[in-house]
Amino acid sequence: MSGHSHKHQGAQSIDYYAYTSGMRKVNASFKVLFSVTLLILCIVLDHIWVSVTVMAGMGLLTVCAGGLSLRRYLSLMKFPVAFILMGSIAIAAGIAARPYGDFNLNLHFFYLYTSGADLLRAARLGLKALGAVSAMYMLTLSTPASEIISVLGRAHLPKLLVELMNMIYRFIFILMDVQSRMSTAARARLGYEGFKRSCYTFGHIAGNLLILSFRKAGIYYDALESRGYDGELKFLEEEKKIKAWQVFAAAGYLLALTALAVIL
Amino acid sequence: MESRQQEAESSVILEIRDLTYRYETGTQALDGVNLKIRTGERIAVLGANGAGKSTLFLNMNGVLSPDRGEIFLHGEKVNKKNINALRKKVGIVFQDADNQIIASTVLAEVSFGPMNLKLARPEVARMVDEALDYMELNEFRDRPPHYLSGGEKKRVSIADIIAMRPEVIIFDEPTASLDPVNAGMLEEVLEKLGSENKTIIISTHDVDFAYRWAQRVLVVCGGKVLRDGTALEVFSDTETLKKAHLKRPALMDIYELLVEKKLVPDQKKYPRDTENFRDLFE
Repeated sequence: MSGHSHKHQGAQSIDYYAYTSGMRKVNASFKVLFSVTLLILCIVLDHIWVSVTVMAGMGLLTVCAGGLSLRRYLSLMKFPVAFILMGSIAIAAGIAARPYGDFNLNLHFFYLYTSGADLLRAARLGLKALGAVSAMYMLTLSTPASEIISVLGRAHLPKLLVELMNMIYRFIFILMDVQSRMSTAARARLGYEGFKRSCYTFGHIAGNLLILSFRKAGIYYDALESRGYDGELKFLEEEKKIKAWQVFAAAGYLLALTALAVIL
Repeated sequence: MESRQQEAESSVILEIRDLTYRYETGTQALDGVNLKIRTGERIAVLGANGAGKSTLFLNMNGVLSPDRGEIFLHGEKVNKKNINALRKKVGIVFQDADNQIIASTVLAEVSFGPMNLKLARPEVARMVDEALDYMELNEFRDRPPHYLSGGEKKRVSIADIIAMRPEVIIFDEPTASLDPVNAGMLEEVLEKLGSENKTIIISTHDVDFAYRWAQRVLVVCGGKVLRDGTALEVFSDTETLKKAHLKRPALMDIYELLVEKKLVPDQKKYPRDTENFRDLFE
């Protein structure tokens, strides 16, 4: 099972980490509320130490309480970090014909320049974004998509959207499964030998997936109807109790962050 | 005699009269099917792919509505108004669990049917718990279906139906993609359901299984019920078997061979399984 999730990086492994997270037992609405508040706080307070504290705090929470290995956490963080870093460079550095900044790099035709203030601004922005990302990571790495969807449903998102999200979530895995089987079968017949063949095979698999999806949808609908489906998907959900200490801990953390912004 | 007849009539759960169904593509899937399903029956439905088994099942459960013919549930004619009663009383376990499982956790999945019965939540929770216990799925209740094995998914798809407490459970080719361990699990579940006097209908290509397990065998061919009788009657009817492209169960052949070779006395006591067979020699 874990081997399976290793092969498909991205959505599937994140989903798997969420299901195996130590924080899965925590009430989903509570986690959503906490992480969204954190996200907003991170942006509104716009304070470098708040951002760093959120980043470190959420990382610790995901790794220690969630039980995700540090290596995996860092490898998941790689992508947002790369994007934010590139964005920050663009903000910090400027291009001009003359050396305007505190630090200048002569590139013969033009100068690449930056200043201390610009660097600080970029760092601030980058860390703010990273703090926000780590708050969202805490949520997604501890809460399966289905639970997040049900929170959205309880927050009165239109039923149609919620049901669509639920179905899409379920079918992604089915389609991925079918696709992987088809591409294995294609590989067994040398379907990926060379670029041209690969393109050809890819196209055929995509076409087949579409046809198969239509057929599967029909069978699915029959199966739903046979169990009394009447136009609304209703499921039972297990209530996860919010514990007092969790509320206190979360409130304490948020207050501490605000205090940090005021004092420093 | 008359009272027995009456008793037999009263235990009829489902009666199908002259059921005809044609798909939009023009395929005549069912052509004048007549059937009576009684309490506690164990029925195997045999027939080639495309013979109309699945269409028959979908009609029996109200998903498809027949072009002609009627279905009676406990003597009451099924129409648009009481079709939900039919869906509750007759449950279908689909061939491929992946085509049935819709929810993102086992608990939510099993609750889907009971929730549609519009019961109070505590009642739904109780039905779900019972079904999970029944199929020994309690440890998986928070698992998403895509992290379950094939056999586990099959168990979930059965729990789905058991949770709705139907009187008739239809299994559409249940052994199709199961390994021996899970096929064994399935037979145990069938045994358990049978002992609770549930009516079970199974479509299968496995004649040996049908012969061993079923009291009654239906042979479906070209949208018609070609033969309806006890397992022994049906499998003795070589002409029907030939028409429907069915093989004879190996145990029957072996028994007849032994009789022919005078190794066992010809008492017409066909053994149903290997244990029965052993008894022949003791």
